[in-house]
Amino acid sequence: MALSQSLASLVLIPCSSSPSSSSSSSSLAVAASGQTFRLFLRSGSSSSSSFCSQFCTAHLSLFSSFLTEQHQRNGLRSVERRAAGAAWNNVVVRAAAAAAAVQGQGESKKKVLIVNTNSGGHAIIGFWFAKDLRAAGHAVTILTVGDESSDKMKKPPFSRFSELRDLGVETVWGEPADIGALGLSSFDVVLDNNGKTLEVVKPVADWAKASGAKQFLFISSAGIYKSTDEPPHVEGDEVKGDAGHKIVEDYLAGLGFESWASFRPQYMTGSGNNKDCEEWFFDRIVRGRPVPIPGSGLQVTNISHVSDLSSMLTLAVEKPAAANGSIFNAVSDRAVTFDGLVRLCAKAAGKEAEIVHYDPKAAGVDAKKSFPFRNMHFYAEPRAASTKLGWESKTNLQEDLKARYEEYIAIGRDKKDIKFELDDKILESLLTPVSV
Amino acid sequence: MAGMSSSFPGTVTSSAPCVAAAPGSRHSLPQGAPRLHCKASFGDLHATFEGMRQSNIVDKIGKLADKPNLASSPPVAYQQRIGRKAVRQAVVMTRALASGGESKNILIMGGTRFIGLFLARQLVAAGHQVTLFTRGKAPVTKQLPGESDEEFSVYSSKVKHIQGDRQDFDGLKEKLTGTGFQIVYDINGREGKEVEPILDALPGLEQYIFCSSAGVYLKSDQLPHLEVDAVDPKSRHKGKLDTETLLQSKGVPWTSIRPVYIYGPLNYNPVEEWFFQRLEAGRPIPVPAPGLQITQLGHVKDLANAFVKVLANEKAYGQVYNISGSKYVTFDGIAKACAKAGGFATPEIVHYNPKDFDFGKKKAFPLRDQHFFTSIAKAETELDWAPEFSLVDGLTDSYNLDFGRGTFRKEADFSTDDVILEKLGTKTVVAA
Repeated sequence: MALSQSLASLVLIPCSSSPSSSSSSSSLAVAASGQTFRLFLRSGSSSSSSFCSQFCTAHLSLFSSFLTEQHQRNGLRSVERRAAGAAWNNVVVRAAAAAAAVQGQGESKKKVLIVNTNSGGHAIIGFWFAKDLRAAGHAVTILTVGDESSDKMKKPPFSRFSELRDLGVETVWGEPADIGALGLSSFDVVLDNNGKTLEVVKPVADWAKASGAKQFLFISSAGIYKSTDEPPHVEGDEVKGDAGHKIVEDYLAGLGFESWASFRPQYMTGSGNNKDCEEWFFDRIVRGRPVPIPGSGLQVTNISHVSDLSSMLTLAVEKPAAANGSIFNAVSDRAVTFDGLVRLCAKAAGKEAEIVHYDPKAAGVDAKKSFPFRNMHFYAEPRAASTKLGWESKTNLQEDLKARYEEYIAIGRDKKDIKFELDDKILESLLTPVSV
Repeated sequence: MAGMSSSFPGTVTSSAPCVAAAPGSRHSLPQGAPRLHCKASFGDLHATFEGMRQSNIVDKIGKLADKPNLASSPPVAYQQRIGRKAVRQAVVMTRALASGGESKNILIMGGTRFIGLFLARQLVAAGHQVTLFTRGKAPVTKQLPGESDEEFSVYSSKVKHIQGDRQDFDGLKEKLTGTGFQIVYDINGREGKEVEPILDALPGLEQYIFCSSAGVYLKSDQLPHLEVDAVDPKSRHKGKLDTETLLQSKGVPWTSIRPVYIYGPLNYNPVEEWFFQRLEAGRPIPVPAPGLQITQLGHVKDLANAFVKVLANEKAYGQVYNISGSKYVTFDGIAKACAKAGGFATPEIVHYNPKDFDFGKKKAFPLRDQHFFTSIAKAETELDWAPEFSLVDGLTDSYNLDFGRGTFRKEADFSTDDVILEKLGTKTVVAA
């Protein structure tokens, strides 16, 4: 904390400058712990500003690791206590941001706040988005719902948040309902990756607007599309009128942000996932159990690598005008059948898989419990992102599943003792013998 | 091979149709002539002429200046010999070509049955000179449903015809030699070897546009099919694939279009016809279980439009494009869409397991029993093309102009339906 006292002075970070090139100066006022630090930056040509950015980033990583040891992990108040010590962290982060701001084609670097859920399939989005933003030179704070000391924080991706801090991401905890009281500074961009209803998102959106955020992004869900005989779900298709996510989207549209956008994901795979996806298939394949698939197995769905979502979000941050007012299906550009997914998982595991089709009703099971995905076509395409943002999918499901299988084995999940009660019930109803 | 873009040396950046011959290709200059590479310098017209095929433009310029055939002359001497006036005229022509404004001399292999009917009309309306090559079994020109007398009169007065059997390769080559067609639309080609006589007869050919099929794609668990996807060398559409491969090897600028299921007025393939017949008869519609197989229908007019978009479009050289509807549709969905289009009540759909039946050679259902659909994003992005018909609108167009008027190609045959319905114990509802 003594560090903060040492900052009560002018901070000048010199950048190597070529005298002939045009120079621009950026000046930032950083408020922390009641003290104001004014930071001047002078940058020359783009090559020198990239040096400046590297210089700042080097400082950043040094001090951020220093500050990590200083951090106290006891909840809400630590945010305030940390603010002083984090002042230098913030300053350097912003220095890096400002330096990077004058490089390239005049793309400005942003201060982004991610409000992240503390569990579930969408938790991983904030983790990857934060990393992508840092790689692009933006400043990131991730606010996870609840307490840092909660048991939920022992699961991925939260158990890996040190990776984010190492990159200079500020990790804080709190309740979105009280977002105004968390001592957060203002941000250029706010992403709500938490709320499913207006009740939960409204405080965040209202605070973002009031504190001057220019862009608001929302993680919605492709589950709100009405089922159709003409797949895929494309942006603009009818959605269920009473869907909470839809009500949020409508509210955001009317709030008057310079740019707002909503992202509708489906199922995701990727390192740090909080919810099982392909694991359900690996559990059976690696134990030589048949894989029970409801119905014909021809149902198609979309399994995207989470990096497709984070790249789409990052693109929206960097092209706010293009993204404004748009719904984006946050999915990869390919769908896969249920049977096909079994085959891909089997190939990833280097094993054979036996598919068994069943009728949930006849087997006396609830398909929602006996299978990880909606038992129907659930298929959206990322058309808006392609046309409006020039976005491209990078998901390669076969390769992605191979990598996930390696992680699955590395954590020893293949040895885990799992009860397959519903599977056994299904198989029994089909009178299929199971080889153990 | 699919999606490979050919790099023709010095391909012009404008939309000028002429492309320099790839060295060593069959379209290079006659023997003894200096080989034209696109960096041939024509003095201060270098940039304008870069990439132009000498034997085409230069021949024209030669005629303008009333000079001997310049194909055998070294390029450097060209400008000096024909003089400034001809060069200026060539520049004018170049600019006309560059803006894509020039009318083309087009040959359509086909043109009297389905796709070609609509394509030929669009091309004639755009000011091109169109010749149809057919055996003459169908009338060369026939008024289309919905086409006004005046439109038809204009069209039939302009379109030309060459009668012949394209399977007679020698005859075909003879009939086409010296015709000077600049563009070939091959709408009814099936095998690679059918292309050769055409290419042999037309050394000045600027583009060969081929109607292929999405049937060439290798079946996959991951969909939709993109142009870059693996193709199936053993598919029923092997001939289409062979044709694409052959075109690529020949060095002629080529474009291949891969439609999925084509529908629309005058469709001779019983796609919508099959559903409309059952709806009109008030019969249940037997669909292979589970009925949620996803496929894709594309309106023939949208397809014709896409064919026009690739004409003399340098971006399209060496490219394949999936062309079909914007949305996909389940089997059950087609039944429902046809019902909407024809103003019928929601149909009774009956699902059956095809494996429980043996229909012999008869087809109990007109579509492949599998997922089968493609992404049209490449065409939309690169060709500035988009389908105009939604599925229900397109089926309505087809119904109103054709099947709803009592016209049809194939007599209704419900024999396989009855076998299915009897086995499933479903009563058939026969309209009075």
